[in-house]
Amino acid sequence: MLAIEARGLRKTYGGGWPRGAGREALAGLDLSVDEGAAFGLIGLNGAGKTTFIKSLLGVVRPSAGVVRVLGKDPEDPTARAQVGYLPERLFLPHAFTPVQFLASVARLKGLPRADDEVRRQIGRVGLSGEEGRRIGGFSKGMRQRLGLAAALLGGPMLLVLDEPTDGVDPLGRAEIRRILAEERARGATLFLNSHLLSETERVCDRIGILSGGRLLREGPIETLCGSETRYRVRLAPPFDSAALAALGFRAGDGEGAFVVDAPDPTALNDLLDQARRTGARLVGLTHDVRDLEDVLAEALGQGREQGHA
Amino acid sequence: MKSFVVARDLLREAASRRWFLALGLGITLMLVVMGLSLRMDVVDGALAATRLFGKSMNTQIRAADVALRPAFVASSYLIFYGGLLFGVVACADFGPSLLAPGRIEHLLSLPVRRFELVVGTFLGVLALALLGALYGAGGLVLIFGVKTGVFSGRLIVSALLASVTFSAIYGAMLTVAIAARSAALSAASGGALVLLGIVAGERERIAEFFDSGISRTIFRGLTLFLPRVSSLARSAGEIAGSEPVDPAALTSMLLGLVVFGLAALSLGIHLFERKDF
Repeated sequence: MLAIEARGLRKTYGGGWPRGAGREALAGLDLSVDEGAAFGLIGLNGAGKTTFIKSLLGVVRPSAGVVRVLGKDPEDPTARAQVGYLPERLFLPHAFTPVQFLASVARLKGLPRADDEVRRQIGRVGLSGEEGRRIGGFSKGMRQRLGLAAALLGGPMLLVLDEPTDGVDPLGRAEIRRILAEERARGATLFLNSHLLSETERVCDRIGILSGGRLLREGPIETLCGSETRYRVRLAPPFDSAALAALGFRAGDGEGAFVVDAPDPTALNDLLDQARRTGARLVGLTHDVRDLEDVLAEALGQGREQGHA
Repeated sequence: MKSFVVARDLLREAASRRWFLALGLGITLMLVVMGLSLRMDVVDGALAATRLFGKSMNTQIRAADVALRPAFVASSYLIFYGGLLFGVVACADFGPSLLAPGRIEHLLSLPVRRFELVVGTFLGVLALALLGALYGAGGLVLIFGVKTGVFSGRLIVSALLASVTFSAIYGAMLTVAIAARSAALSAASGGALVLLGIVAGERERIAEFFDSGISRTIFRGLTLFLPRVSSLARSAGEIAGSEPVDPAALTSMLLGLVVFGLAALSLGIHLFERKDF
């Protein structure tokens, strides 16, 4: 079953007489996310990420197309009861304590007698000992943790997280990653929107690149970032660089690092055998995996070219 | 119903706001001062002497319930108009606060229907108005009752009328807040409605100043659907002062008030249901 399904999703803000055509935030987006997946949506500011997330939650009504969440219309409260959402800038009532705030969210989620669940989630996000403090005195990172606790209340089957580690210190980020891994192990689907590409890479197994309200690329992270036919090779000195270059080994970053293309494992082994015959000794071999940043830049570049064409 | 959860949260939020803390302290201070500084001597059911801060206030000896009527009427007007103005200023921010970025998205992502959020906000403000009015009027009734032995619930009924009037006006304020997301515009609309409502309460007399014909008809048409604020204030004063009240006229005004409030709230819900955040 699909956790998220969007077909031909369009959203135009404004428009109509006398304002003109309006601004198109989503331009026919098609996306499917399987249940239990960890999906990361990346793109530049104004790409339509937040509009898409709001469409998933029924906060924004699409101008055209279909969006389904856990097989239901996002407007359906029974669908939203299974969704935990952390907005990018969650407004928290300053006068409330974390317990009061989470108890209120629990009541709105329809969770009966949620005291234990509230305290459990407070402990889980590392806010134990702060239960009686007013939220107004919390740091940005603490607010973010509290927002995550609110999203986790009731064990939702879909977690939609907009910049979940924003303002959180490095140790806190690791804790949040651990919690998200636990949620995934429980069977929950993660939908992550983050500008921190390294975080997205660490948490998600599928990535979608959004630009101009369209999905430019989508797939498993290994497929998007990795190359099936390119390898990183590390050789111990001494080695004959000229001879290696003649075999197709290109110098990489660092001492003894090379990049080589081979269409299949047999060809790769042949190349390595030839390199060893020149005196080189193999100490490391991995697929050439690119940075998500590079993939994003490449996808956006291609997107622009297609746009111009 | 989730609206009660929203209303409860609004009350908790209000309890931490300076405006409402000041109101609570102000009412408490006034009641304490009245309780400590007002001395009333009642002999055989008649108010023989009244002293405020040790200074004699009246010389006539009258039945205590009759003597208290002017005080109840004055209190009624104070609660009515003071409450309306305070409510318009202090409650104007609740609507925009509900729609604050980062809050409304979170609320709408929860299994709550949109209308429940609007109704909850309205109910919270209604409860706030009722609590404030009951606390002030109830305190006065208690003080006068303890000092004179005359316990009358009429001032409380009068204060409840003020609360209901404010709630209807708040329905329109909330609708403006939903449409414009502005506390200033919400307060301005509330203030304008109070003023127009004062005019509407005197519409028959004011209409005489217009030439008979189209201008008078337009004036009557424009004021037809507005709450009769001044007439309601007068009725509240009459109730507090144990004066005769025309039940048919009061019922008609109350029905008009309810229709106005519900219509405004329905429009607000309609706008809220269609809005993107």
